[in-house]
Formats: sequence, C-alpha cells, structure tokens
Amino acid sequence: MRIVIGQGSCGIAAGAEKVRKALAAQNINAADISITGCIGMCYLEPIVDVYDDSDNLTRLVKVSENDAEAIAKFVNDGDKAAVEGLVVTDEDSEFLTKQTRIALRNCGIINPEKIEAYTNAGGYQALKKALCDMTPEEVIEVIKTSGLAGRGGAGFPTWFKWNAARQSAGEEKYLICNADEGDPGAFMDRAVIESDPHNLIEGMLIGAYAIGAKHAVVYVRAEYPLAIKRLKNAIAQATEQGIIGENIFGSGFSCDFTIKAGAGAFVCGEETALIESLEGHRGMPRLKPPFPAQSGFWRKPSNINNVETFANVAWIISNGGEAFAAMGTEGSKGTKVFAVTGKVKRSGLVEIPMGKTLRDVIFDIGGGMKTDKPFKAVQMGGPSGGCIPADLIDTVIDYKALGATGAIMGSGGMVVMDESTCMVGMAKFFLDFTAKESCGKCIHCRIGTKRMLEMLERITKGEGREGDIELLEELCYSIKDGALCGLGQTAPNPVLTTIKYFRDEYEAHINDHKCPAGECSDLIEYKIVADKCRGCTLCARNCPVDAISGSVKKPHIINTDKCIKCGKCYQSCRFGAIVKE
Amino acid sequence: MINLTINGKAVQAPEGSTILEAARLADIYIPTLCYDKAVEVYGACGLCVVEAEGIPKLLRSCSAKVSEGMVVNTESKRVVQSRKVAMELLMSAHDGDCVAPCQLNCPARTDCQGYVGLIANGEYEAALKLIKNKISLPASIGRVCPHPCEKACRRQNVEEPINIAQLKAFAADMDLKADSYVPETAPSTGKKVAIIGGGPAGLTAAYYLTIMGHSVTVYDMMEKMGGMLRYGIPQYRLPKEVLDKEIAIIEKTGVTFKNNQKLGADFTIESLKAENDAVIVAVGAWKSSSMRTPGEELEGVYGGIDFLRGVIKGNAPEIGERVAICGGGNTAMDACRTAVRLGAKEVYVVYRRTRNEMPADKLEIDEAEEEGVVYKFLTNPLSFNGEDGKVKSITLQIMELGEPDASGRRRPVPVEGKTEEIAVDSVILAIGQKLVAEDVKELELNQRGNIAADEDFFTTSIDGVFAIGDATNRGASIAIEAIGEADRCAKAVDAFLKGESLDTRVPYISKRDEKTIDYSDREKQSRINPKVLPPEVRNKSFDEVSLGFTEEEAQKEAQRCLECGCREYYKCKLLKVAQRYDIKPERFAGEMPQKYTHDENAFIERNTSKCILCGLCVRSCREVMDLHSIGLMGRGFKTDVSPAFSLPLDQTNCNNCGLCVQLCPTGSLTEKSSLKKQVPLDEIYTDETVEINGKKACVSVARYNGKVLRVIPNDEVSRNSGLTRDELFALVK
Amino acid sequence: MEKRAVDLSLLDGVLQEYAPVKGSLITILQHTQEIYGYLPREAIELISEKTGIATSEIMGVGTFYTQFRFEPVGKYLIMLCQGTACHVNSSELILQTIRDELGIDDGQTTEDGLFSLKCVACLGCCSLSPVMMINEDTYGSLTPDKTKKILKELREAAQ
Repeated sequence: MRIVIGQGSCGIAAGAEKVRKALAAQNINAADISITGCIGMCYLEPIVDVYDDSDNLTRLVKVSENDAEAIAKFVNDGDKAAVEGLVVTDEDSEFLTKQTRIALRNCGIINPEKIEAYTNAGGYQALKKALCDMTPEEVIEVIKTSGLAGRGGAGFPTWFKWNAARQSAGEEKYLICNADEGDPGAFMDRAVIESDPHNLIEGMLIGAYAIGAKHAVVYVRAEYPLAIKRLKNAIAQATEQGIIGENIFGSGFSCDFTIKAGAGAFVCGEETALIESLEGHRGMPRLKPPFPAQSGFWRKPSNINNVETFANVAWIISNGGEAFAAMGTEGSKGTKVFAVTGKVKRSGLVEIPMGKTLRDVIFDIGGGMKTDKPFKAVQMGGPSGGCIPADLIDTVIDYKALGATGAIMGSGGMVVMDESTCMVGMAKFFLDFTAKESCGKCIHCRIGTKRMLEMLERITKGEGREGDIELLEELCYSIKDGALCGLGQTAPNPVLTTIKYFRDEYEAHINDHKCPAGECSDLIEYKIVADKCRGCTLCARNCPVDAISGSVKKPHIINTDKCIKCGKCYQSCRFGAIVKE
Repeated sequence: MINLTINGKAVQAPEGSTILEAARLADIYIPTLCYDKAVEVYGACGLCVVEAEGIPKLLRSCSAKVSEGMVVNTESKRVVQSRKVAMELLMSAHDGDCVAPCQLNCPARTDCQGYVGLIANGEYEAALKLIKNKISLPASIGRVCPHPCEKACRRQNVEEPINIAQLKAFAADMDLKADSYVPETAPSTGKKVAIIGGGPAGLTAAYYLTIMGHSVTVYDMMEKMGGMLRYGIPQYRLPKEVLDKEIAIIEKTGVTFKNNQKLGADFTIESLKAENDAVIVAVGAWKSSSMRTPGEELEGVYGGIDFLRGVIKGNAPEIGERVAICGGGNTAMDACRTAVRLGAKEVYVVYRRTRNEMPADKLEIDEAEEEGVVYKFLTNPLSFNGEDGKVKSITLQIMELGEPDASGRRRPVPVEGKTEEIAVDSVILAIGQKLVAEDVKELELNQRGNIAADEDFFTTSIDGVFAIGDATNRGASIAIEAIGEADRCAKAVDAFLKGESLDTRVPYISKRDEKTIDYSDREKQSRINPKVLPPEVRNKSFDEVSLGFTEEEAQKEAQRCLECGCREYYKCKLLKVAQRYDIKPERFAGEMPQKYTHDENAFIERNTSKCILCGLCVRSCREVMDLHSIGLMGRGFKTDVSPAFSLPLDQTNCNNCGLCVQLCPTGSLTEKSSLKKQVPLDEIYTDETVEINGKKACVSVARYNGKVLRVIPNDEVSRNSGLTRDELFALVK
Repeated sequence: MEKRAVDLSLLDGVLQEYAPVKGSLITILQHTQEIYGYLPREAIELISEKTGIATSEIMGVGTFYTQFRFEPVGKYLIMLCQGTACHVNSSELILQTIRDELGIDDGQTTEDGLFSLKCVACLGCCSLSPVMMINEDTYGSLTPDKTKKILKELREAAQ
C-alpha cells in the first residue's frame, strides 16, 4: 500500500503537512508516503489517498493528525474499519467523476516534485513530437484546429497570437506565461503550477517552438510561494534532463527558462503591464499599438498566454486538435477549469467541457447551497466580470453566452452567493478592489473607479441620492470607453451587471434606506425577539459598547442608539433570538 | 503618403504618422494633456480619443496610426462624451483655484489678486492698467464700493481680509496724480452706439466700446456725468474732484457726452436707435421706494436719494435738529452722516433688526456712530405723525428677532403692544430706489417693474437695444454690479455689431473646497486701514474722511495677500481644455488625491495638489534630461510625483533646466517670476536667442508691462548651461 | 519600532548576482526585503549606486507594488485575504476581530512589535475562506473565536 497526501496550498492550509508529519511518525515505510498537488476537492481537505497494491484507491477526507494511527492500522493491517468515518462518500466522489480533466489531468494524482512522475504519466512526449516530428507551422495549425482560446479571460484564439508572434520579424523573441492570477476567487493557475508544473513547462516549450522564441519566462504572483518553489524545482529537473536548454531532444531547438515573481499588483495581469513589471518597472500598461507580438518584452516580439492555456497544449499535441475541438460549443472548444467557491456546498476546482450550464457546475457538481438560504447569483470573472442572477442559471458555458449576460467567462472564478449577500455591497467590494489596484495611469480608471466607489459607499450608507444609479451608469460606460487597459475597461462590469439584474436593491438602498440582504450595517438594526431570548446574557457580555441590557433569564433589549451594529451579538446568540432588520 | 478623411476633410499624412499628427498637419484640433513631441507617447489622459469608421473602440489618436482610406471623426458625440467625463473626473481631483475668490466674488471679476500683487511689488502703473481692464472709474469705485471681494478674501480666515478696495483707490490715485493712463483705442469700426445714462454702468460701457473702436455718445438727464456716483454719494466719501478727473479720462478716449438730455423729453429709444447701430439703456433707479407707512406724505419726510441729491446740488432740504433715517443700508449711512454734517443735533437710524444684520459696510456703521449717530435697533415705524401737515414724531413698533428668513437673517417680529415715540423734525426714508418706469415705456418690463433684459446677452424687447444696471431685472444694486454688467455688455454689443452673438457667461473654472484649506502655518498680520479724519473734525465738514494709503502702507497691506489664484492661469492647458466642454465636475465630487505640498527652489515651485499625473515632468526629466530627479510614487488614485524619499527639489540632482515646468499642462509646476511677491499675470512669451559660453542658445522670455519676469531655458544648450537664475536674467536684460 | 542600523554588506551577494542583469530591480528589492524585513533607505541608495538606476525610479517601483515595505514589520505579519470568497464568507468579521484583539488597523504594527496587519489580495485558498496567512502559515475557515485563539497562541509562543 502507498499513501498520497494532497499538498496543494489549500491542503496545507487545512493541515495536510501536520497529517504528513503525523503519518511519518507512525510505523509506515517512509518510501510509501508521498505527496501530490491539489486534488480539487478543497472542501474535503486534508485528503489522504491510500492505494493498495493493485492501485485501488481509498480516499480519506477531512483527515487530522489524530487520525494517523488509524490510517497506519489501515495501511499496515488492512483494517478498513479503522478509517471508516474518513472514507469519502459516494456523493462527494461525484464531484470528481462528473468532471472531464485535461488541464488538470495530472493534478492530485502525480507527485509534482518529481519529474519521473510526470514522464511516467506520458509527460514530455508531446514536446518531443512537436520538436522532432512537426514544423512550427504545423504546431500552430493543430492549435488552430483545436479551437483553443486564451483561458485568462478574454478568450482570444491562441493560434492567432502565436502566428502573429511567429510572423513578427526578429531573431530574439519571448514566450511569456502569465501566472499573475489576480482575480480574487480564482486559483486554478496556482493549482496547476503546484500540482503539475511540468505540464506548464511542456506547454510553454511547445509554444516557444511554435513562435520561434529562445526564451521562456514565467511571471508568477508573489502570493504563491509554493507554486514558485515547485516550479523552480521543476525547471531545475527539466534543465538537468536536457528538456530545457540547448538542442532539446536533439531537435536543434533551444530555449532557456526563467521565473520572475510579481510583487503584488493586480494590473500586472494585463499583458503590457506584465512586460513593464518583467523589465523591473512600475506595472503600468503601455499603449497598444504596438502589440506585444510586434514589440513586447525588451521591445522584442513576445507572446503571452496564461497558465491554463499552456496546460492544455501538450494534451492537444498528443491527442490532436480534433479531439479537443470535439468538446464544447460552436464558438468555445475544449474544457474550462472553474474555481467554485462561496456559499456552495462543494467548493474546489471543476473542469468541465464547454457547453455545460452554470447549473451543472453549481448544483450538479457543486451540490447546491451550503446554507439554508436560496441561491441568488454567481459572480464570474472577478473584478472584470459580473453577477449572473438565479434566473439565468441555465446559461451555457460559452464565451458568447456568458458575455451576453454582462459577465465574462473570465479566468474561471465562480463565487456563489445566497440571499444574504448584498449586491450593491458586492459591486462596492469589487470597485474597492479595482480602485486599489488601478495603476493610476489613465484618468478614467484612476479617478473614475474611485468616484464609483465613493458613490457606492454613499449608497450602502443610506446616503444615496436620486439620480445616482443613472450617474453610475453614465460613468460606467465612459470608463469602458475611455480607460487605457483591460483592467479599467472592465472595471464597471460588476456595477453594470448588478444594476441590470438587481436594480431594485439599489433603489431600496437609495429610496428606502434599506438593505434587502441585511448586509449593509448602516442600514440595518439588530433587535432581540423577546419570545426566543432565554436571558443567557451572552450577547450583553459580547457587546463592545454595552448597548444590551436585561437581567438573567429575562429577555434582553438592544439600545439602538448605542448599538454600533458590529453584529457580535448576532453571531454569539445560540437561540436565534437576535434578528437584523 | 496616406489618404484619409478627418471630420469630412480629405487629409494626407506620411505613412507611419499617428492620427494626431495627421490632424495637426491638417490644422484640426484634438485636445491632449499628456502628449508632447519631446517624449514617448504615454496614453494617460485619453483626451485625444477619436472615432474611426469600422473600429468599435475609441482610438487614442496619439498612438493609433493612420491607414489608407481611414474615416476619422474627432468630435463625434461619443468622443465628446468621453472627453467631457474625463475632464469632469480630472477636475474633480484637481485641488486648485484658477483665480482667487476675491476676483470671483467681484461682480465685475476685477483681478484683485493681480493688482494687489503688483502694488506689493511697487508696480503701480501695471496695477492701474490691470484694474482698468475691468473698472473705468477705479478711484471712485475704490472709495465707495462695498467690496464683495473682501468678503470672499481668505485672509480673513487668518485674521482680517486684505483692504482690497482701498488698495484699488491707492493705485488709481497714484495714476491721477501725474500723467493719467489713457488707453489706446482700436481703429474706428464706423459703428455708432448711443448710451442712455451716464452713471457707472453707462460710462463703463462707453469706455470699453470706445476702446474697441466704436463711436459712442452718452446721453444724461443731469448737468454732469456720474449718475449715482455724483448725485447719490456724499462728497466726504467721494470728492467730486476725483470723479471729475476719472470722467475726464473717459472723455479723452473719445466718448461724446451729452448732458441735460432726458429720455422721453429730448429723445426716445427709437429715435436713438434710428441714428445708431446699437443702444444701451443704463438709466438707473432714481425714485426712492416707499415704506407704505401712514404719514409718508407729510412735509419733512424725504426720500433718501432725493435728500442726498439735494445736498450735492446745493439745495439741501430743511431737516431741522432732530432727524430720523429709516433703513440699514449704505444709503442710510450716507444720509445720516450727511445729516450730521448739515448740523442736525440728534440723528437716529431706525432699523428693524440689529447691528449684525445691517447690510451697510461695517466701517460706515462705526464711523457714523463716532460722528454721533444714534441707532434705534429693533424698531420699525408704525406711523409718521404730523401737525399742520408737517412731521413731528414717529411711532416706533418695538421688534424682536424670530426665525431666520429666506436670506438666512433672523426675521424681525413685532413685540405686541410695545411701541415708542420719538420726536423728529424730519424723516429720511433710505430703504431703496426704483426705476422711474414711465421713462422706459418703450421697453418691456418684468414683474418687478424693471426692464426685462437677458442676463447673459443683455438684450431687450427691442432688437439692437441692450439694457444694464439698476434699471434692469432685479433692480437697484451696487455700482460694481452695474459696472460688471456694462463690461460684459460692451463685449456683447461689440459682437452684435460684428453680426455675432456672444454668450458672456463666465466659463468653467476650478475652485478649491473652502472647508479643506489649512491656514495654520500662516503668520498673523493685522489689516491696515488708511488713516481717517478725527470724528470731531469730520462731522463738521464734507472733507473726505479717508486720507488714503501712503505708499509704504499700501505695499505692506498688499504683501498680506495669500496668493490664492493660480500663477499659471493664463497659460493653463488644463483649463483651456476644460472650458471646451460643458463640464460639471461637482457631479463626481469626492476625496482629493493629494494634500497641498509646497516645495520650491530658486526656480521652480511644486504643488502636487494640482497635479493631473500626465507624467510629462517625470518623463521629460528621464527621457530628455536623463536626470530622474522626480518620479511617480505610489499607485492608483494616490499616485504622486515627487523626488525619491519625498526630498525637496533642492536636495536632488535637479539642474533647474525648467523643462518640466514648460511641459506641465497646469499649475502643478511653476517657474517663479522675478517679482518679490508672486502674481498671476498674462505674460507675453517670446523665444530669444542668447549666447551661453560662446554657444548660441534659445531661452523663452516672459514679460509683463515691458518687464522681464521669467527666463526659461528652451533648448539643449540652455537647459544644460548650469547658469543661475540671475545669470540667465543677465542674458536678456 | 526602532530601526536597527542597516548592515549593507548583507546585500553584497544579491547585488553581485543581479546588479548586472537588466530588468532585475524587482528581484533585487525582493531579496533586500527578505534580508531586512523591509527596504531601508540606505539599501535603496546602495542599489541605486550599484545598478545605476535612479533612486526616484527605485522608489517609484517600490511604492507601486504592495509587497514592499519601507518600515520594519512585526514578528508576525498577518496577511488577511480580501478575496471575493472571503468577502462572501464574512472576512470583515475577522478583520474586526483582529482590530479589536490587537488594536491595530491595516498597515499597522502593534506597539510590542509582535504583530503587523496587512490586508492582501486573494491568497487563492478560496475554498477555506475566510483565510489569513501569518508569516508562512495559512489559516483557513476562520471564525472570530478561532482567530482569537490563533493570535493568543502566537503571543504565548513569542514569550
């Protein structure tokens, strides 16, 4: 038997490393304990997979270090009863079985720190095929056939960018991977790098060959230390084996590989800002034209794709463009990875073919809501995207169909919300994000997002004015039209979609000074329902401003003049006696 | 060459040109703020956007290249909307005053900061010329104006406002002492304008229209010109000799005066119109308003303006020893102080509110009291009581202050049953003046009984006839109000005579939020008032009360000016672009990104609160000079331009080349002038060739009134010369 | 917190390796911060001297990216995630708890120099939201009580 512990960032944060140490302390053959990356069932972390000698899997979930002894018993003595409570349920297993994994095909299966694990799984065969049996033009043609489009959000055809870079004059070209995954709520790129770094390297090398670049660069955000560590390790291993460097596979093609860590700036996800940052400057977007394909990194032709895009490349080369194109819809081919989070029961990474619906992801795979409140909306595409309301749950996952809602496919963040989420508050949250992340170069974004945020702050405080919605809309359209880069141009989307689908919530804030979701603290009041209050005094003791009075075992009262609406009483009450109004 | 169409015009441009370059070649204006040929394109301001057929996105014309057959629109609705919002956003974060609040609050928009600053520098002649751009009778107005400018003066947040009005009188008196300034007039246009009324409004309109080259005749019913300045203001406040001199200067410019000519009797509006290309009606308001109090018809009850006019004309009415003046404005003050000088023993001012609510100038109120006037506050005449048809006493209703009214002043309400009776020999009603409506029966009047004139174009019900001043719209007001209208009306009439129509509305300007201004670092310096005659001397004579400023006093007082208005006002590119679009930045009012920061060296002054982050300074310092003295710091809304570690410029490698100042599109970076007190002035810039270290070099020289104020390096040699400020000045002097 | 004298020799290796490589400014600053815990002015001046990049440019870069600090931080740097999933799962309550417990706001350090608080962009552990990182360790599924307990344990560990 061998033990594989899921050690993506999520797993580690949930305690996987403690579990590994505890298992190592048990009487188990050290060689039988290994790690893997992100299995994708983040809500069940830490996860320990036990394979018997015929490679049959027993998946143990929500494991703690205290379970180590029981697991050892299972491993050493085959005593399955010892781990009975830990075995994943059939229902939870569906989370994975209902997916179709291409980009994530090795994630949570192989050891990301060992190149052999990757090559044993068929890794680097596609690179060999491309370098030795195909011309760069042929590679581009296969990618064209596959219909692969940029997975970073915009959905631009990958072959087109590669071809443009290939056609660009000049000996010196760069192939750049954008791993500056900044959308809050998206973490599939992190998972790919942490769990299958060689897949990224292979995809990039194929891309470099296709465009004629001798230099490959990965720009990873600084918030992902584990990803950086595993990628560096993978680069070192691949270099040692001659997969990176001179005359790869004897093909005559050479390519070096560098990794650069970002330093905390969302705007560096924009390709020209990323290039500025790579050059060591402030990450302020450049004017386009010229496009990076003509003048990019060090003013040389450069091609930039994101992690998930590259993660599909090796598979496409191995299996053919047609196989990839067989999945999906007319305009959107292949699969897409989503990071499903929020108020959903099963959160984690979901890779499914294009053409499925939001309902498939959120309800069928995600298991629906984890709270008893109804589903309200799903936020897609982060700060550049929008909120899709419950009645559009059957929208098909397709660049065009999602775009028609006002949201975007985006990089794949899907944050599920229930009735307790205020949509004006949601818009404010994103504007706060973009305003903080605006590089400050162009007027529309620098000042426009700030002014939008101020208006939304006013509205959520109950200080909204008549005409604010119209003014917000006017400003939104102007920013979309006038901002210099994608960050600014898409910054209004969260506002526009919430106005489009939840205008009544805006109106309630402005006209009635009410927050229907009960989230905006300035617009709610906490009250104690006398019938339910047992007089336990817990709320009064938790109140930081002594606004709650009452004697023991008698119903308590909140002095609303004193109350600062911190919600501590609401959180602390065990009897549901405190209500928000 | 590439052929394209811009705004319907066929344009040719070399291949590789940007749309902006192509437009400039074709003389088509596209606004830019962050673009300059000297540095790489940047794309920050987004004002240069244009629409091109077949391209869904707006294009930044500074970077988008021309292509064959391209059809470009630089002023489409979408483009204009984008620029408008951009400018609104930009101005909502631009914490600066284009002009000082004193100037804004002056109904005539007199450049107070400008002339105060020039006086501080001893530049009296320049100061006078600047004043005369807006006020044709500055020595008179300086004496009588209730100076709204001072009410807006920010110096009062430190201690007291600048004595702006007296400084104006000082500059004008200096001019009257010697060869007075008579402006040059433009070549004759051959157009004739008649003006009815020779008061401040009529004379001002006459002065400016004459300077513009028109032939102007002023008709007035009185024997001398001056209107209310002559017949409504007592001699002790405005000596008629001063007024005469100033009117003489107006006459010298070429205006024809016709006195003793009364509208309705000697001519009509129509008759003048038949002989002239335009007519301006500026007849004023000459009838005292009634209080509708029983007994007003009694002998000994006079209208304030009638009383004052009688005294000035030498036929003062009999007022006796006990006089009551009803009213709290400046006419009431003029009347009571005149009564004192005529020898009345008991002079009362009956006013229904308290001293704090009195509209009269505070100095006047105090000086009148010093002269022996007794205030009867919170009283209101119930009736004027007579004997044999002659007034003998007044019954006063005692009042108290209630809730504030629409004007914000607390409303006086009668205290039931409480009255007081005072014995008087005469009563003067100084509660306002009205137009004599029958004089202007040819024109349409408004509901108030005044001439209905357009507030911005000054047009009336008769084409070609304009109306201004006390006779129009809201009725009688202060002289400077009429002068402001006259100045703008002159421009409107000039346009009319050219067959155009001119909107004289004041275009957009940027103003700071008063609440956010910090005065804590300002040193307190008391306001200086000119010396005055002692009360016991002045209450017996009509000699001018104020002795006026000495030069030393004037300069010292002028030095107190806080310099609120922007020095770059006259060449601010930001403002020029802002004024092109009908912007309302207050829609987006919010937090200001930067606090006022003051940093200066010998040449340059920096104020980041006005910075619009176009980056031209940083980029030129880096790309052209390779100095990197300043950089962009922080990011987003709070980005600012600063040397590393927020050091002052003096501690950087800045060589004062001045390139950043030249490129700065607004007042964030300014080149200091050679004046000891800095003043915003409409300098004239010329590029001049000089010799530096044996090499030919170009400098940009700014002059005002013939004096060199700034010398700015303007080519590679001069920028790298390392010359000090004085050495640079020596090159051109 | 008191700043200690800066030993610039610690930078020798970094500068030797990266100063000649163009485009390395961010990398150099990252190493510098690793060494000193922040970017001391003396270090920036030295970097400028060795790389030929003006101090205004270095400061421009340093102030642009949220990773860089110009003041020393506490022993424990709390990075509280501000991602969407965390927001939806009430990260605001966690922020409030940290504020109440430590008496510091975003960007501040406790007087004893033990804790610094920084609100950061999404840490990518959305399934465990709300999340914070303290130094290298990630803590997920936070509640106010759990947060208090973590802070208490760290404080005790430091004593």
